[in-house]
Amino acid sequence: MPRMTIEELRAKRETVRKGIYLREGEFTCRITIHMGTCGIAAGARAIVSTFLDELEKSRRKDIMVTTSGCAGLCSKEPMATIELGDHPPVKYIELTPEKTRKIFAEHVLGGNAVPAFALGIGSEKGG
Amino acid sequence: MKNEPEKKQKIGSALVVGGGIGGMQASLDLAEAGIKVYLVDSKPSIGGVMSQLDKTFPTNDCAMCTIAPRLVSIGRHKDISVLTLSEVEKIEGEPGNFIATVRCRARFVDEDRCTGCGTCVANCPVRFIPQPLDGYADVQLSPETKTLVDNIIAEHRFRQGPLMPILQSINVAFNYFPEDVMKYVSRQLEIPLTSILRVASFYNAFSLKPRGKHIINVCMGTTCYVRGGERLMDRFGELLNVKPEETTPDMLFTLKSVRCIGCCGLAPAVMIGEAVYGKLAVKDIQGIIKKYRGNGHAPHDH
Amino acid sequence: MATARIEVMLCTGTGCVAGGAFRLKEVLEAELAKHGLREEVSVIPTGCNGFCGQGPLMVAMPEKIFYGWLKPESIPYLVEEHLLKGRPVKKLMFTPPEKKEPIPLLSEIPFFKKQRLLVLRNKGIIDPERIDDYIARDGYTALEKVLTSMHPEEIIEEIIASGLRGRGGAGFPTGIKWKVCRNEQKTPKYIICNCDEGDPGAFMDRSVFESDPHSVIEGQTIAAYAIGASHGYIYVRTEYPLAIKRMQLAIQQAREYGLLGENILDSGFSFNLEIREGSGAFVCGEETSLIHSIEGKSPEPRQRPPFPAQVGIWGCPTVINNVETLATVPVIINRGAEWFSKIGTATSKGTKIFSLVGKINNTGLIEVPMGITLREIIYEIGGGIPNNRKFKAVQTGGPSGGCIPASLMDLPIDYESLTQAGSMMGSGGMIVMDEDTCMVDVAKFFLQFTNDESCGKCTTCREGSEALLEVLTRITNGEGREGDIEFLEELGQAIKDASMCGLGTTLPNPVLSTIRYFRDEYEAHLTYKRCPAKACKNLMAFWIDPALCQACLICKRECPAESIYGEKNIIHVIDQTKCTKCGTCFDVCPPRFNAIKKISGEPIPVVERGIPVERKKKAPVPV
Repeated sequence: MPRMTIEELRAKRETVRKGIYLREGEFTCRITIHMGTCGIAAGARAIVSTFLDELEKSRRKDIMVTTSGCAGLCSKEPMATIELGDHPPVKYIELTPEKTRKIFAEHVLGGNAVPAFALGIGSEKGG
Repeated sequence: MKNEPEKKQKIGSALVVGGGIGGMQASLDLAEAGIKVYLVDSKPSIGGVMSQLDKTFPTNDCAMCTIAPRLVSIGRHKDISVLTLSEVEKIEGEPGNFIATVRCRARFVDEDRCTGCGTCVANCPVRFIPQPLDGYADVQLSPETKTLVDNIIAEHRFRQGPLMPILQSINVAFNYFPEDVMKYVSRQLEIPLTSILRVASFYNAFSLKPRGKHIINVCMGTTCYVRGGERLMDRFGELLNVKPEETTPDMLFTLKSVRCIGCCGLAPAVMIGEAVYGKLAVKDIQGIIKKYRGNGHAPHDH
Repeated sequence: MATARIEVMLCTGTGCVAGGAFRLKEVLEAELAKHGLREEVSVIPTGCNGFCGQGPLMVAMPEKIFYGWLKPESIPYLVEEHLLKGRPVKKLMFTPPEKKEPIPLLSEIPFFKKQRLLVLRNKGIIDPERIDDYIARDGYTALEKVLTSMHPEEIIEEIIASGLRGRGGAGFPTGIKWKVCRNEQKTPKYIICNCDEGDPGAFMDRSVFESDPHSVIEGQTIAAYAIGASHGYIYVRTEYPLAIKRMQLAIQQAREYGLLGENILDSGFSFNLEIREGSGAFVCGEETSLIHSIEGKSPEPRQRPPFPAQVGIWGCPTVINNVETLATVPVIINRGAEWFSKIGTATSKGTKIFSLVGKINNTGLIEVPMGITLREIIYEIGGGIPNNRKFKAVQTGGPSGGCIPASLMDLPIDYESLTQAGSMMGSGGMIVMDEDTCMVDVAKFFLQFTNDESCGKCTTCREGSEALLEVLTRITNGEGREGDIEFLEELGQAIKDASMCGLGTTLPNPVLSTIRYFRDEYEAHLTYKRCPAKACKNLMAFWIDPALCQACLICKRECPAESIYGEKNIIHVIDQTKCTKCGTCFDVCPPRFNAIKKISGEPIPVVERGIPVERKKKAPVPV
């Protein structure tokens, strides 16, 4: 890296900033991929990488991709839950990378759930 | 050294030896009493040790404020003759009638004309060259040592303030300051050996004695102390059979205390080389020594 | 590289490294590779997180889950459960003592909750060895701002307005210091960063160097621009090898980016920075002594005035600022003096880092706003005293400070209130003491320290500390004489009055403040030959309570002096003539027996040898 001018420093800051967004960001959307033994066996790993891949392309910094344990519906794995803003979470089932991309584009970025792939809207009741 | 004449009248003169604060006051008191005073001092000027201090114990008086008026009064007093660079050779006679022989050394400066401007001091070409003493006029270092030391000196000598970095590098290379190397550095940097030793002996990280391969620094910071650092030190000393600041005969360990290594969260802690051992108990120490004894190298993990 | 979904912020400060953080990193990376997670999970080594008592530790982002006390053995489980399957591992989380439920979130842990991070804003969030991480967190924006839009005078006015005072201890207003130096005619000028953190029990400067070196470089560069210096030094203790390494790397990176060196950011301003190491002399933290040390002279302090801001290194005007002070500068420039001066008390603005250590549950480094009370620090952030012991005092300000007793718990902490209480802010060491700490012994400890570190220039400090130490040693040995306490007070005051530098004028503080608040302890030592804390070796003894001893042989086996008599099923007895009072038996006696007792000021109960153990039920006997 050669010596910089102020403009170059500013540009540099913009590029490196997205490298650390996980550590400081405010998140408006949370994607949870269910990764129990069943989920992993059904191919949840590929779903995670697809989401990450899409996320990278989207250049968005307010989306968190995280994993959790088995959702309890092993036959419908791989599954993912998407929580967007104040909307109730949506659970998607039997995901494939193609479905994942569509969900990412329409639901995560577009704000419209994709009912065709969804199990249902809202979470199980607690208690 | 005052010669009391036959108690009838004030005649003759008095000799005061030593121009420190005591001598100056004595001279002034005598002169005020009407006696001619000769004030002798072996130094080039009067003032003594007090002129090097800034405050005096226990009253915290400013030293310069105490001596300066006396210096001025003595310089001005018509009845005081100051003989500096002079020493009393012999004194003969009896009370009331002494004859003193004083040797005044040459000072190569005409005192009547000197204004004390200091130009000669600043311009004297021989001032900063160390006076080679017999025995180290030419220090012989082994070829490897010489190359090593030469490289260290070459690396730092043109920095401003080269002495500390050079000493630090030598300390890393040799683990202590060998006498010959110090003399060599003194010659090379043209800094008197005494000045170098003054710096070298000031810091805890330096040693003028050979030290062991592993330096065991037992932290004696407050937290480690409160949490029992002293007991670790005792145990190390006991197992290695050395006292603090000593080295084992096999030159493997030197036991030292250090003032806080900043690992207070891990107190009590010990630093061996650059490895830190935290939350130590007295019973762990045997094992640690064993690890270092085992292969002679610092163990990789702990 | 694809975007990672989890970043593991692994603390690699000195404390955690000593606890094996680098070994953890290897294991962690190997485990991640095994599960094919290397792309999804990045491991970021960070500087000191501050919660050193929990080390080695890490924080998993983005959820900010805190894991402490990690061992290589626990890593495989952690990776599989949390990093792969997303189920945070409860048993590795922080659980406050006497509580059952662990606290997963970093921000919820009381230790972190009460803190306000300005200087340590990047701790545990950036990799200190990567300048890009610092830049990403708005690093060097303050430098940008001053070089493009601020006149040096304006910077100085801003710093004066902010009320920032030196964080090294004395609390001199930073802006005024800069102004004095700027107004000097002589050039060149110099700026020195003082990281000769000699106070035992303080390690905030080390931590800043290890976790965020660029914030110091940025602050120092701004200071250089403000006073008109073109060269700077960083003086750092040789006892901090990791800090030195990280700072060297940071300087090198800043140089490559053109943030140091000639013509910084094309602004025409040039500034060079170099590191100088100390070699272990406490007095070098004193500014004139530090200057002498860099110059290669014998590092003794000299009389001030002239102050270094007028006549400093190489005879030129020099500003010497503490690490923390310089690291605060970019924050003030970025957020403005007005914002900064709203934090803190009337006379002390901003935040201060303290190292909270000693007999306290949560050891570590904390940054809190000025004006916070001791109670909040000790009970809320620090989590109280371990083992239900009683809090006795807290020592602040290192060997120059004093002890603040439990009765002043609600004292709001700022420069003035601490001085009034007979202590001082100092560099920020806070050593907590419980009822097992003997105050006379503590005073003796500090006197040993200052006596050792006195440079010897002033008679009062050199001989006075010796005399104080002699009397204190006499008292702790039980040989104190009547009038000793009065003598200590009188001599202490004389030393304060007559010494020249900060070391001498403050060295009697530990003695004077402990006499002020704990005179009864001194009197117990003198009159009754009793050490109330049972800490002074010559005034105490260990003995084994026959009613509690279960004859388990552990203490007998561990005793280095072989002074314990006993056999299986036969109650153990300490041979007082052989006992060296090392305390090993006390440490190893299983807590459920708790049979070893300390005793002071009363005769040691005589226990006959050969009494068999009476067992009520089946008492477990460890093998």
